[in-house]
Amino acid sequence: MTRTLETIPADMASTALSSGLLKPNSISVKGFKITTQKLPILKADPIEDMARNLGIAPPEMIFGDNFITIEHQQTQWRIAFNAFDALDRVDKTGASMLKVAYSKEWQKSRENTHEGIKEIVKPFDWSYTTDYAGTVNPGSRAFVATTKPIPIELLKRPDPILFYDDVILYEDELADNGIAMLSCKIRVMPSRLLLLTRFFMRLDNVLFRLRDTRIYVDFDEMEIIREYQSRECGYETVRQTLATTRDDVPAVMRDPNRLSEILPLIEKRLERVTLKD
Amino acid sequence: MSDLDKAIAQLRACRLIPEAQVRELCYKARELLIEEGNVVSVDAPVTICGDIHGQFHDLMELFRVGGDVPDTNYLFMGDFVDRGFYSLESFLLLLCLKVRYPDRITLIRGNHESRQITTVYGFYDECIRKYGSANVWRYCCEVFDYLALGALVLGASSELDPSGPMMDTTQSTMPIDDSELETEVLNSRGEVTMSTYRPRQRSSSTLSTDSRNISPPRDISAAPGQPPIRSGAAGTGASGDAGGSLSSRTGAVLCVHGGLSPVIDTVDKIRLIDRKQEVPHEGAMCDLLWSDPDEIDGWGLSPRGAGFLFGGDIVKHFNYKNDLSLVARAHQLVMEGYKEMFDGGIVTVWSAPNYCYRCGNVAAILELGEDTSNGGTVTRSNGDVGRSNGILGPTMGVRSPGRRYRVFEAAAQDTRGMPAKKPVADYFL
Repeated sequence: MTRTLETIPADMASTALSSGLLKPNSISVKGFKITTQKLPILKADPIEDMARNLGIAPPEMIFGDNFITIEHQQTQWRIAFNAFDALDRVDKTGASMLKVAYSKEWQKSRENTHEGIKEIVKPFDWSYTTDYAGTVNPGSRAFVATTKPIPIELLKRPDPILFYDDVILYEDELADNGIAMLSCKIRVMPSRLLLLTRFFMRLDNVLFRLRDTRIYVDFDEMEIIREYQSRECGYETVRQTLATTRDDVPAVMRDPNRLSEILPLIEKRLERVTLKD
Repeated sequence: MSDLDKAIAQLRACRLIPEAQVRELCYKARELLIEEGNVVSVDAPVTICGDIHGQFHDLMELFRVGGDVPDTNYLFMGDFVDRGFYSLESFLLLLCLKVRYPDRITLIRGNHESRQITTVYGFYDECIRKYGSANVWRYCCEVFDYLALGALVLGASSELDPSGPMMDTTQSTMPIDDSELETEVLNSRGEVTMSTYRPRQRSSSTLSTDSRNISPPRDISAAPGQPPIRSGAAGTGASGDAGGSLSSRTGAVLCVHGGLSPVIDTVDKIRLIDRKQEVPHEGAMCDLLWSDPDEIDGWGLSPRGAGFLFGGDIVKHFNYKNDLSLVARAHQLVMEGYKEMFDGGIVTVWSAPNYCYRCGNVAAILELGEDTSNGGTVTRSNGDVGRSNGILGPTMGVRSPGRRYRVFEAAAQDTRGMPAKKPVADYFL
């Protein structure tokens, strides 16, 4: 086991970057190499490039240089998580477009002043909802559907954490109508790792959404399990559910961990791949 | 030392003042703000700032880079609160400075200066946490209702005096004969990192008449039937010297938090709004605080189902009609701290570095110099009632002001007093 660099806290990143010191963090365990990189949001030119290549406007906080990769060195199997590929899976047609809570009120009040201003500019799913489950390298052995779940009990054990990181890929304030955020965290233990990529969205007074992708790797078995879960619930339903508890309602509504216990499961997929011959 | 000066000293040290003093401060601020019009007139020189969002230590850095109040004349374009951890300290300090030096600092309203938004995005919670009740939040919200909606900067110079030193890596268009420094970008150490020059404009009635004859109207928005105007009214820069003196007459600069509104075609219409209320979801007041420029033609609706987007033609038309050379606004995060769009017709200024303590972006402030070519006489009539009837209509088009951007980074970690946010390894599932 080798560890190349200490994890740099997120709020140190800009200082570290200006002195040109920031390098990807990585660790190798039993033939698997895990790499993470955290840099500031993109500058104007790369944002324009990204917008052109995506065909939609990127979120206002776009950490386009950030990523997490897991690769098995011997078999060249590799999965990566990055902002561009996640955003490429956002609906670009406007077919699944949400509306902010006061949209009706707003539009009604403008009926007399719209006068020709009817065109919705570049419609797309501005909530940046994505079912992104990672980018598997071409040539890597493919995932196949399975019923074998991620062994939660093994992950509950307090095994030492050799490597940990929390990497944000993008975030948008939905023009002060809530939050949309895609982040990725990983913990590496001596025999296994768990990665969680979570899309969290709260559209104030409208909707909550969670899209979770978990990657579990058993180093000794050379087995990878991927679980995708989609959770969703109307804002008012969640508010009413919380109102019956003793919880600080606004605080819970900001906390995806707590919300994941409350939001009903909409969709679930399980896949696995083994790298053994 | 007066109580107010003591309060300023205390807030500068990031220590809060007692609730009773906040109440008194807010009362005084309201009395002051109620006297201001919806559009405040501000004379150049002035330093224009964008969103602060409760990043107190970065506001201190801004004052270090831009100069202190009252030495520097400041204009803040709203969004003082929410998101950051020190909305109270930031806003109360700015308010104290406003009451202490009313002519040296102008505060206009951002979309976060609202009851509804502050209850969701942090300021309300911060007030409860730091004062134990919602009283201070209520006092502040009452002040929000009195903040002006915009400002009009008058008498800005078209030309900057070069500041040095240049860095080896400075990008610059070459100064040519008879050129003037149009824009300059400085880092937080005062070093020039970029500068652009443009030909100096000569203003003589002969020349301007000629140029009219050989060039099309500068904008399609020229009102039909409007008589061509060859010189400005007496006492304005436009009157100039017929002998071809150097002119640096620039149009006024309109500052608003968000942008334009389809129901506002003249600056005067902003003056007619009844602003003393919570930011509404409808109407011109909402648009001024919420709308965004976009690379489109004309007006468009935001895909979110509320909010307008406006294109370059809208800005050009508005600037022409109102004798403006620039719209300065804030409201949107830009990685470089500032972003000019539409041939320099509009600029976004963002003053919260490392936004939300995680974006790693730089911030900027925009300095506009004073036009001294008329002995410091300011074209007072800009933007006033009756001004847009063409009397002062530009003959050759107003020049954009010389623009100096000072770019700065987040205050150093150790002075920020932030709880260190190392990613703490946790046994997430």
